[in-house]
Amino acid sequence: MSRGGGAAARLGRRALRVCALPAGLVALWWAAAASSRSYYLPAPDAVAVTFAEVWFSERILADALPSVVRLLAGFALAAVLGVALGTAIGSSPRLRAFTEPVLEFWRAVPPPVLVPLLILLAGIDDAMKVLVIVSGCVWPILLNTVEGVRAVDPVLADTCRSYRISGFTRLRTLVLRSASPQIMAGLRQALSIAIILMVISEMFASSSGLGFTIVQFQRGFAIPEMWSGIVLLGLLGLALSLAFQRVERSVLDWYHGLRAATRGE
Amino acid sequence: MSAVLEVTGLRKVYEGGGRRVEAVGGLDFTVPAGQLACLVGPSGCGKTTLLKCVAGLMRPTSGSVRLAGEPVTEPPPDMAVVFQEYGRSLFAWLSVADNVALPLKEKGVPRARRAELVRRALADVGLSDAAGAHPWQLSGGMQQRVAIARAIAYEPRVLLMDEPFAAVDAQTRAELEDLIRGLWQRLGVTVLFVTHDIDEAVYLGQRVLVLSASPTRVQDDLAVDLPDRRDQLTTRGDVRFTELRARVYARVQAAKRGERPAPDPSAPPAPAPR
Repeated sequence: MSRGGGAAARLGRRALRVCALPAGLVALWWAAAASSRSYYLPAPDAVAVTFAEVWFSERILADALPSVVRLLAGFALAAVLGVALGTAIGSSPRLRAFTEPVLEFWRAVPPPVLVPLLILLAGIDDAMKVLVIVSGCVWPILLNTVEGVRAVDPVLADTCRSYRISGFTRLRTLVLRSASPQIMAGLRQALSIAIILMVISEMFASSSGLGFTIVQFQRGFAIPEMWSGIVLLGLLGLALSLAFQRVERSVLDWYHGLRAATRGE
Repeated sequence: MSAVLEVTGLRKVYEGGGRRVEAVGGLDFTVPAGQLACLVGPSGCGKTTLLKCVAGLMRPTSGSVRLAGEPVTEPPPDMAVVFQEYGRSLFAWLSVADNVALPLKEKGVPRARRAELVRRALADVGLSDAAGAHPWQLSGGMQQRVAIARAIAYEPRVLLMDEPFAAVDAQTRAELEDLIRGLWQRLGVTVLFVTHDIDEAVYLGQRVLVLSASPTRVQDDLAVDLPDRRDQLTTRGDVRFTELRARVYARVQAAKRGERPAPDPSAPPAPAPR
């Protein structure tokens, strides 16, 4: 067999491995829908047809896009806030001792219960929804950044001092880079929290968004439409997680190499 | 030749948890410009504490360190340190060349000059081909070479080395020892080399300072009157090398037993500079 043929076969096997379980689950869904005949459990082909009808339209701009924009805005704001505060707190034992009890308290408050409060404070528009996302996402980023910044290697810190590397260069090349594995772990957790909070915030007083639309469909007994919204949310989460993986791989390239090297390849 | 490094009455006392530990107790020595001086002492004798005080990384409890007449209160701009833990003193996320270039960039060395210094330093340690690699892609000995290249590219007046070869295998260690002697002879930099290895101290140094057990004092100060051209085979087989090693060994053993140096060391014999 030629080399090209071998590569194609490998690619085929890989595609099979990736798709086998999803295909199996869809088949199971199919069988369950066919045997139950329940109104609330439409078959996957019906959902697929509805999906195309519902989402390949201006609805994707009117409902999905605002959701994604709010999600990304909230996530980005939480990232900036979490990394900035986390770096400050992680660098100063005094500040950490001072803020720790308050941080533990706020972290323990489930973010969805802040929605009614934030409606009062920030109204029912986009600002409220972004704030809900920020209020939930900031904690894993903040706490992981604190841990990462605290764990900066003392020998490397001494190296920086002896070469008089200080200020912004020190922050950028020493502190943030050596904390980056923890920061990325925090960002990854925050991303999944952001999706959940996006949906929840839209289920409260809202006039657009995926969460709002899914609840509307459910109340109107548009069951295949409701299912199509859930599928879209799943796909959105998958796309975000794949994008995040790509970024992480390029940012933490050195870290994975270092770990492989210390494990002895 | 004038002393580039003067350590006067250096004391370091650690206090905490109701315990008071005197790590370094009243240390005096000077190092003339261009000398390669080795500090050797029993393990746990406060060598690292001493070196950190000299480097300006730690404040002594009392006494002073002067570099070219200026008191050292923070890491001075014309001093470089090579640590024992090479793996932890290099930036894993920067390439070898960027590791060497970073201190120069921070010092404000112009781009073209920086590139030249990096290229030359890497060539000096035999790592020209590894410029684009990451430190963790190199062996331990090569990583320590990167740290040495970073130190010499910085063009320091004084190079401090804290047991730099303690964590590499014997063959690599011999190569690195010869590398350091070669660089020192070519660049004319003053080197203060801390080690616990007696053979290494005698082989490398023009002068060996034997330290006592903690609280550290200078137990003995001897000139190494071996020829300037040294190599691993003939120098280590030299009768004089064996005598010097025996003397240093006896002093380190005495230090371990807790014998103190004479209270008034009548002006230690200043070894002839190179």
